[in-house]
Amino acid sequence: MGTLDWFVLTSFLLFVVIYGTWKTRSKKNIKDYLLANKSAKWYTVTLSIMATQASAITFLSTPGQAYTDGMRFVQFYLGLPIAMIILSVTAVPIYHKLKVFTAYEYLESRFDLKNRALGSILFLIQRGLAAGFTILAPALIISMLLGWNIQILIFIIGGLVIIYTATGGSDAVNKTHLLQMLIITIGMFSAFVMIFRLLPQDISFLDTAHIAGKMGKLNALTFDFDWRDRYNFWSGLIGGTFLALSYFGTDQSQVQRYLSGSSIAQSRIGLLANGIVKIPMQFIILFLGAMVFVFYQFVTPPLFFNAYETDNIKSSVHAEEYRILEEDYAEVHSQKQIQLRELLTAVESDNEALIQSSVEMIDQSREKENTIREQATGLIKRTNPDLDTNDTNYIFLSFVINFMPVGLVGLVLAAIFSASMSSTSAELNALATTSVIDIYKRMIKKDGSDKHYLWVSKVATVFWGCYGIMFALYANRLGTLIEAVNILGSLFYGTILGIFLIAFYFKSIGGTATFTAAIIAELTVIGCFFFTEIPYLWYNLIGCVILIAIALIVNPIISKRPQMTK
Amino acid sequence: MQTSKNNAEEERPPILKSWKQLYSIVAINLIVLIGLFYIFTEAFK
Repeated sequence: MGTLDWFVLTSFLLFVVIYGTWKTRSKKNIKDYLLANKSAKWYTVTLSIMATQASAITFLSTPGQAYTDGMRFVQFYLGLPIAMIILSVTAVPIYHKLKVFTAYEYLESRFDLKNRALGSILFLIQRGLAAGFTILAPALIISMLLGWNIQILIFIIGGLVIIYTATGGSDAVNKTHLLQMLIITIGMFSAFVMIFRLLPQDISFLDTAHIAGKMGKLNALTFDFDWRDRYNFWSGLIGGTFLALSYFGTDQSQVQRYLSGSSIAQSRIGLLANGIVKIPMQFIILFLGAMVFVFYQFVTPPLFFNAYETDNIKSSVHAEEYRILEEDYAEVHSQKQIQLRELLTAVESDNEALIQSSVEMIDQSREKENTIREQATGLIKRTNPDLDTNDTNYIFLSFVINFMPVGLVGLVLAAIFSASMSSTSAELNALATTSVIDIYKRMIKKDGSDKHYLWVSKVATVFWGCYGIMFALYANRLGTLIEAVNILGSLFYGTILGIFLIAFYFKSIGGTATFTAAIIAELTVIGCFFFTEIPYLWYNLIGCVILIAIALIVNPIISKRPQMTK
Repeated sequence: MQTSKNNAEEERPPILKSWKQLYSIVAINLIVLIGLFYIFTEAFK
């Protein structure tokens, strides 16, 4: 990190905090504070939705995902536009007409208080833990690669977000999201341009695409169906629709973004624009990862992208073994470069037989490389048995730090901090809103003044921010807790989605049947977790389907009861 | 009378005549993207 990098990074972060705080400092009532006075235009809604979804870990992981597994991750988003249409038709007009602050308020008007309480408490548990993780994940990766103190990083990210979110509420979140999306776009675009400038002079854009494609990295669409495979056309279209419906329709951190729209039309267009822009954006980020992969075909990559662990092994008793592996790896890699040139010549002359033989030779070299990498991670694991040897999250940032010029490193880091802060601010805003509107105002103090609730909302924002920071600091010492958070989220998402789907589409089903079915579905999902080996990503679908099925069975029995007693 | 007229205007999407047209654009965009991804995948396979 050069002085210019520090200047770019700190000046942007300070500008966002000062701008967000100053522009939104005079919030006088609760509607203004929690829903930005329902004044946002569609483009603000779109950018805010995108900034909330694009957390730093997504931003860091996605290029790495393309590097290791190809671009097929883009299929994960195929269901998103469908979900945007469904939500625009159903959820948006309902939420607006009922003038709700939270999605869970709607559950009380549709069912009863117990369903509202269940929905909001499940959200608070899940999103509360996720908020800590959103702060922790980028702090962990940045600290590993740059050697910065992780605790200071956690306090910086969390502290800066608390300042402007607690001061300006939803409006501050919206306004800073615009700036953050701008810097994310500029950061990504700069990285994209730099990769092409860093490639050998004689390698054209088409050559890079051919290399990436022939090595299986441009597999944007795969139709083979395998239920254990997360990213294919079918899982993306079907599973992705359910996941996007659940996230955008029932998660307050997203619902609050489009509820700040000035009208039904502005919220709808905001969602639909996200449905148009999101997939191309993910495609570009993944393509960037594929280009990083091509770059590392001409420059020998590190054996392991986590620089901190690499330094550890190099100062351990296994240092000599690791050095030999590095030499072997460099040799295989230089052979592969010759094979790549042969491949490009074959492609240029359109010689199919030569292309085939070149690809086979490259595949053999890659197998050798993978074997050496496995041996290297085995060594690292011996030094640190608890270490996660998946280094996908470190690939992109490692490239940025080692190869980007001074100034641009600071810009990309500013983009990564922005992504982390934008997600965290939306989460804190949503957690505070649900705590105050669905719990405090509804169940604890019903007759408070508007000023009182405004003050409580600010306190709740600070509370959830501190909670997120504390969780991040604590989780830092418990590596496996990170995976536990993901599993915990999947334990509840299916139930929440099921409740909302019944509310929207099964008008004959009442509150008690839904609540009973929700409890049974939740217990079933928890049972799946403890007693089966079903991958946790399927819990969303299982919970949702079981809830709806049981509600359909139970509802006629429950609704007949009063008539029988009469 | 004025209020209901305003509401009706507010519910109309910009430029297009109905929301169905806007939903169709989003759906067609998805289909076009899938088609382009297919061509992209096959072209560099």
